[in-house]
Amino acid sequence: MTQFKNILYTEENRTAIITMNRPELYNALNADAKMEIVQAIREANKNSAIHSIILTGAGKAFCTGQDLLDRSVQVSNDTIDLGHTLQTEWNPLIMAIRDSKKIVIAAVNGVCAGAGISVAIACDLIVSKPAVKFVGAFSKLGLAPDAGSTYIFSRALGYQKTMEFFLMGEALTSEELHNAGLINALNENVLARAIEYAMAINKLSPLSTEMIKKNIKAALDSNFNQSIERETHVQRFLGNSNDYKEGLTAFLAKRQPNFTGN
Amino acid sequence: MENILLEHPYKNNKHIALVQLNRPKVLNALSTDLMTELVECMTKLDNNPDVRVIILTGNDRAFAAGADIAQMMTATPIDQIMDNRFRTWEMLRLITKPMIAAVNGFALGGGCELAMSCDLIIAGDEAKFSQPEIKIGTIPGAGGTQRLTRAIGKSKAMLMVLTGDMIDAQTAYDWGLVAKVVPASTLLQETYEVAKTISERAPVAVRLAKEAVNKSFEMTLKDGMDFERRNFYLTFSSQDQKEGMQAFMEKRNPEYKGN
Repeated sequence: MTQFKNILYTEENRTAIITMNRPELYNALNADAKMEIVQAIREANKNSAIHSIILTGAGKAFCTGQDLLDRSVQVSNDTIDLGHTLQTEWNPLIMAIRDSKKIVIAAVNGVCAGAGISVAIACDLIVSKPAVKFVGAFSKLGLAPDAGSTYIFSRALGYQKTMEFFLMGEALTSEELHNAGLINALNENVLARAIEYAMAINKLSPLSTEMIKKNIKAALDSNFNQSIERETHVQRFLGNSNDYKEGLTAFLAKRQPNFTGN
Repeated sequence: MENILLEHPYKNNKHIALVQLNRPKVLNALSTDLMTELVECMTKLDNNPDVRVIILTGNDRAFAAGADIAQMMTATPIDQIMDNRFRTWEMLRLITKPMIAAVNGFALGGGCELAMSCDLIIAGDEAKFSQPEIKIGTIPGAGGTQRLTRAIGKSKAMLMVLTGDMIDAQTAYDWGLVAKVVPASTLLQETYEVAKTISERAPVAVRLAKEAVNKSFEMTLKDGMDFERRNFYLTFSSQDQKEGMQAFMEKRNPEYKGN
């Protein structure tokens, strides 16, 4: 296992727990921190003993987005390329979460700001502490929202609410996002609740959880015909898996299935 | 055959053959040896009356990541001319049976060109396509400026050939480079379904249809229409056409013999 400087990586049962660990900076991420999270997600995906991943933050914040002290985003007389920062740092991080074959659960322990919101909402399931603030700080800096946040928010909240959120820069609370369907559960002990989700997922067939994630993500970008065709392809594939045999056998025998992931 | 694997019958279906590029350590780089074996294998399958459709695939990481750079690095133009490695590539055009490229992972440079040498491409949703030759100071040599332009149009072909940047499977689908995008893990199963459907069609007609579609790239519209019509008339000399229309009238499934 790689040694990390900006994150903690632990394993509990079959779950990898990635903790962003820059509490003095409210878990704002510099280039190294982002790459460490990407690497940790990739390693967890390669490790067949791991079935799910939890992403959380140390200290008071979940993640407050870009570390503005990082040199690549400093304003200077030379042209700076924030597009490059996105292409080489943020987008790979968001894509690593979205493309992870193993389910990624966000345990939102505290404030999310800027691209930190994108990190949380890229996850497959989200558990948050009550009264956590989500702050879209971009407009106050003269920027526009990035790292996939317009896509996910506009689908979940609708156009006008999303416009208001990113224009006015006023925080949404975890309660509001819970009501909007973006957050799955509110709990004072976010990590314990996230682990509960993880333990339930770890009992399922990894092939099945991967395909459920992929199908639902694809459905968001597809029409009905494409979705129903994709479902057919996937079900034909899963129908030939050993896990389906085991699942059906266990169901008929009224016992718990023992899935192996093939 | 060291560099490719052949599975025939594939899934116990004697009409379908699966050819797999098998140099996983080098992402199926297309060495001269590999291409020679591939063309020999394709030719044998083309001559085997049992085979009706050929699937060409790589592995999960790569369909093929292009030519063997190590083999080419110090070559002179004369070396390239004497080596004449594109001769084998040209021979793929002579295969009369439908070849379906099933692409997972990278199809880069020669890999993209090899996929385009097949009659249709089915891609897993994690596949990536590019013509990256420009990044190492050369240009495509096996159809990357020609077949790609015909497939996706000039402006998009220019974008790919001049930047060398990759496009993902969905973009390749939107641009018309691939016929279908399916979830990556289901690629072979779904390609098999397409192959099986084609294998159940009249083999003589399939052959004449493939020939006619390919002619559309070589001819004016008028000449192409004339060519198509000759092949259309020609199907009426086959038993398969009699069987097909008979079965249609009798509301049963046809049984084609390929004659």
